[in-house]
Amino acid sequence: MIRVGVDVGGTFTDFIMMDDSRGRIFTNKVSSTPRDTSEGTVNGLLELCSLAKVDPSGVDLFFYGTTEATNIVVEHKGAEVGMLTTKGFRDIVHIGRQKRYLTYSIQVDQPWQKYPLVKRRFRLTVPERINARGEVVEPLDEQETVLAVRQLKSQKVDSIAVCFLNSYLNPENEDRAREVIKQEYPEAYVSLSHEVVNQYREYERFSTTCLNSYTAPIVGKHIQNLIQKLRSKKVRAQIMLMQSSGGTATTRWAIQRPVTLLLSGPAAGLIGGIKFAELADFENIITIDVGGTTADFGVAPGRLLRYKHLLDTRIKGYAAMLPMLDMDTIGAGGGSIVYVDEGGAFRVGPMSAGAFPGPACYGLGGQRATVTDAYIVTRRLNPDYMLGGKLKVYPEKSVAAFKEQIAEPLGVELEDSALGAISISNHNMVQALELNVTGRGYDPRDFALVAFGGAGPLHGCQLARQLSIPSVIVPPLPGITSAIGLLLSDIQYSESATEMQTSLSPNLGELEEKFSKLESGIVERLRADAFKESDIMIQRIAECRYIGQSYELRTPFDSGEVTPKTIENLLKNFHKTHYREYAVSFPDRGIEIVHIHVVGTGKVTSFKWKRIASGGSSPSAALKDTRKIYFEIRDKPKLISTPIYERNLLKSGNTIKGPAVIEQADSTTILEPECRAIVDKVGNLVIRVR
Amino acid sequence: MKTNRSERAKKRKQSASKQSNSRVDSVTQRVLGGAFDTIAREMALHQLRMAHCTLVTESEDLGCGLFASDGRQIAESGSSPLHCGSIRGYIQGASKKLNGEFYDGDVIIHNNPFMGASHAPDVGIIIPIFFKDELVGFSGCTSHWVDIGGAQPGINLDALDMWGEGEILSGLKIYEKGKRNETAWDMLWGNIRTPVQSQGDCMAQIAACEFGKNGMLKVIQKYGLAKVQAAAEGWMDYAERMLRLKIKQVPPGEYYAEGWMDDDGKNRDRHLKVATTVTVDDDGSITVDLSGSADENETGFNCPYHGATCVGVYSAVRSIFLDEALVEETIPQNEGIFRAITVEAPLGSMFNPRFPRGTFARLNQIQRVADNILKALSPSLPENLRSAGTSAHIHWLSYSGYDPESQEYWVHLEPESGGSFGGRSEKDGGDSVAVLCTNTRNVPIEHMERKFPLVCERYELREEKPAPGKWRSGAGIVRVNRMLVPTIVSCEGDRSYDPPWGMFGGKDGRPGALTRIWSGGRESLYSKFTGRRFETGEKLEIRSPMGGGFGSPFERDPLLVLQDVLDGLITIEDAATEYGVVIRESDMAVDEAATGIVRSR
Repeated sequence: MIRVGVDVGGTFTDFIMMDDSRGRIFTNKVSSTPRDTSEGTVNGLLELCSLAKVDPSGVDLFFYGTTEATNIVVEHKGAEVGMLTTKGFRDIVHIGRQKRYLTYSIQVDQPWQKYPLVKRRFRLTVPERINARGEVVEPLDEQETVLAVRQLKSQKVDSIAVCFLNSYLNPENEDRAREVIKQEYPEAYVSLSHEVVNQYREYERFSTTCLNSYTAPIVGKHIQNLIQKLRSKKVRAQIMLMQSSGGTATTRWAIQRPVTLLLSGPAAGLIGGIKFAELADFENIITIDVGGTTADFGVAPGRLLRYKHLLDTRIKGYAAMLPMLDMDTIGAGGGSIVYVDEGGAFRVGPMSAGAFPGPACYGLGGQRATVTDAYIVTRRLNPDYMLGGKLKVYPEKSVAAFKEQIAEPLGVELEDSALGAISISNHNMVQALELNVTGRGYDPRDFALVAFGGAGPLHGCQLARQLSIPSVIVPPLPGITSAIGLLLSDIQYSESATEMQTSLSPNLGELEEKFSKLESGIVERLRADAFKESDIMIQRIAECRYIGQSYELRTPFDSGEVTPKTIENLLKNFHKTHYREYAVSFPDRGIEIVHIHVVGTGKVTSFKWKRIASGGSSPSAALKDTRKIYFEIRDKPKLISTPIYERNLLKSGNTIKGPAVIEQADSTTILEPECRAIVDKVGNLVIRVR
Repeated sequence: MKTNRSERAKKRKQSASKQSNSRVDSVTQRVLGGAFDTIAREMALHQLRMAHCTLVTESEDLGCGLFASDGRQIAESGSSPLHCGSIRGYIQGASKKLNGEFYDGDVIIHNNPFMGASHAPDVGIIIPIFFKDELVGFSGCTSHWVDIGGAQPGINLDALDMWGEGEILSGLKIYEKGKRNETAWDMLWGNIRTPVQSQGDCMAQIAACEFGKNGMLKVIQKYGLAKVQAAAEGWMDYAERMLRLKIKQVPPGEYYAEGWMDDDGKNRDRHLKVATTVTVDDDGSITVDLSGSADENETGFNCPYHGATCVGVYSAVRSIFLDEALVEETIPQNEGIFRAITVEAPLGSMFNPRFPRGTFARLNQIQRVADNILKALSPSLPENLRSAGTSAHIHWLSYSGYDPESQEYWVHLEPESGGSFGGRSEKDGGDSVAVLCTNTRNVPIEHMERKFPLVCERYELREEKPAPGKWRSGAGIVRVNRMLVPTIVSCEGDRSYDPPWGMFGGKDGRPGALTRIWSGGRESLYSKFTGRRFETGEKLEIRSPMGGGFGSPFERDPLLVLQDVLDGLITIEDAATEYGVVIRESDMAVDEAATGIVRSR
């Protein structure tokens, strides 16, 4: 089988091809083509094919990571959306939760009001009502609905979101509205709130539905365009798209439910990171992917993916109640700006110089000191080997920027100021990591940190040290770890429903029935994707809380027939989860189930990462230089003569003692003093941190 | 009568003495600042996720923070401003009551409004933090309990004194040295209407404080006490420095604004004056003097000086000068902010009532003080900080009844704080949003209908036009709730008399309104009422006030006027009469020639 992973980023598009029959791997990196990203994708793919001497028609699976849907929302470039909603409730998506976006502010704008997903003029109300017991107290007024749809049609909206109160309890009125739209305006793309997310809390459900309508027409066109371009080049591979849940979906599903693609960017990195940690035999994994502007974090205890609480999942301020991997992103990367603020505080980021004008050392007009400049000042980055020598930099510009903007205002030495900037940048990441690790009750001493992305391996050792993480893993190709993660992602669909029950008197039959109903829908979808029964995995989850609480925790639910034993296990799991999250539990209290979820996974066949040649413990064959570099020894900067190794020349079994620098075209690894790296069988640098 | 004159001198001295403190290197300083902030925010998440009552879990009417051993604020969760800023007062009050006697393992409950509490229903939980047998600080939080006893469930505005409002707890140790005081615990729950629900909220508060304590201890173990304390002081100095720097943008001098409250909830239509004198000094300090405001009221419509009046002013001044939308950096809300600000209110006035006056309802007055500060300063502020008047109100609503099955009351407290901002320089006011000192969330309708015998029939923007201006005000909300069973309803509202003010030629806004809708028709209600019975099928309609306009409406971009017409916020007639913009109905476009003629008249 030949599969290709393509990760489309803002600056570069990364490719990886795995050819199982030959046991070979090929990579490619091309500049992204923001105007029409499919151009870069297709051209890069053809390049890759000729590099690998593979006919484009021979590619079987094409995994595609795109920020297209995310960008539509971030850049406010969505479709014109119309909305049908319950009479009396025209402005639910506008009011939101009424809370000010920023607490101490008068000049604040609510992001969802400043850039509405649906303009008020296109939010039309129709008489209908379902009560809190799920009964239709007022059937849909079809005449009014016809008039409303005609009005939206005359305004040429692209899509229509149908958002009725309490529809999660009874879809009847929303379903009927779809019939009317089909009849009156069949060209419109339709999303029903109970289908997009079948859970209570109207603002969040409506907002998610509108996001779906907002992105669907454009994402649909984008995907069709990509398919067409690929087919015209004889690429017949099945295309799978990464979702925010960490699973992929076929194009058919992605076109229907593009909202599931939102914020999927970092997901593939986490999956790739987990894979390389697994190859190095680590069980509990933290990943950090640092690029030019952002750092993405993920935590996978037992190599398992964790999900965010559905009320915490937002994008650009818009609520999006969908399964999303519990990942954090902060504005921290090589381009983060280093400065001293008006009040005299030393700051790094979150503003970034980006790719243009970029750090001061790029000489592209960027005047401000950045983290990359700090690495140049401390001589940790080799100015002659940026992007393998393809990127020219000017170290003197870094020095000047740091001297004027940081060292002098703070009254400290130049080196201190640069090392300080690196420390603060690290600390910003440590903060975010702590929230996700110790803040959630995980002990960092049980974890390994996988550091990747262009800048991740620069920070890895220091982050691990500060967090008391004993091991760092730098994968063989840090710059394209996300693309590799794409190749490893299974197909995944999830469905949920609100189902209120208590552990005191559970209705086992009804639970069984509801779970089965969700399951059969998902299995059907996976079968349509040509998965065999044996490759389909179904997982049940219940969102529960102690009776009387209002916030639920995601709790595993046994598969198979629902029996009293199932509920007993659910209780046990819940107490455990509650204890882990909040450091207390109340084992004598009953719980209530609020929502149920089913996650269906179609297993994509796994692959073997190639072993590299083995050698002795001495890395001397890879030694290419020594350079005097600043390290912090007992809080003081010290210039240390440091060996520089070429990553491609390392063999498995080589052992490197810190301080050392390991350079490769797409990244640089800093091995701090007293740390020790061993090259493992697949080429991971496995670092023991002290 | 002015008791607080000395405050100002004391503050100056405090600031000066801080200069001599030991300093931490700038990196550690930054790191510890992040840690304080992170712990405080995480405390709030613990609290709201574990709690039981909708008011906490859905509305987030709570606050958390970390404090020095003398109660000064180090960091807060940034939740609801009045909660956050007031916790230090709870600590200082409880400490006074307990003569400073704290032990490791103590959990203290406190809500005495004459000992630092914000008002009685905001119940504080305080846990002292000990490191090597030394008291090094406090972890504290508050949460609005849906019931604390008293004459009526939920809201007790029309109460004779503080005891009429409910249980008053003064520095009561519900745990001492790690052991629960079972007698106190029983008494606590025996005297409120919602013992099971509120106990759930209380446990969540304790868990949040434990989290804060452990977080703080971890940081101290890692960096050492001296560094942590120095960093805390450093951030206070920093916040103070930043605030003073921004205050200095306003020319030194005295600025004045006033407004009128509806009434005290008992003496109908006797309007109450809120007089606000703002003095800006050339050292960047600011004094807000409320002399000339109405005397204390015989109902619970009074503001505890420390727990409410001061906190409201701190929050307002900070929001104006260190506006989070405009200041790039995160400026911690800590004691340093408070140091640059002095609040003066005569003892015996509505803003500094004498013991044992009722103080249940204080938010509307605080909102008006905040709004007056904005009004007094707005013309002298840098352009991008200016604003017309906001809705500056809240309709605190309580719906409740007795449920024989659970033998508890059901109490639905909905803080209807969705008012609107006034027009601002270069942008319109935000719609249906909590402004100034409030920042609670609304309760999802689907949650309310499931949990309480209420049905919502309408929740959307008010159909009346927002206040015209070059930059118009935001729109308020209208909500209609119908009772499914006989229900006791109380409301702590205001702003149905004195409308929000326009600025620089912008029009005044629109007051709020409450209406009972029943088979016999519509009955206009006062904005404050306590314990009124609504029969099955009767409805309550709430309309929130709308802010004022900013700048002359005739200068508004005609295309923006057209957008408002298309969005149904104003009519074509409004466009012509209020804005001088002529819109052709045939193609729904601006008739530029006709507009030019109208506007040049």
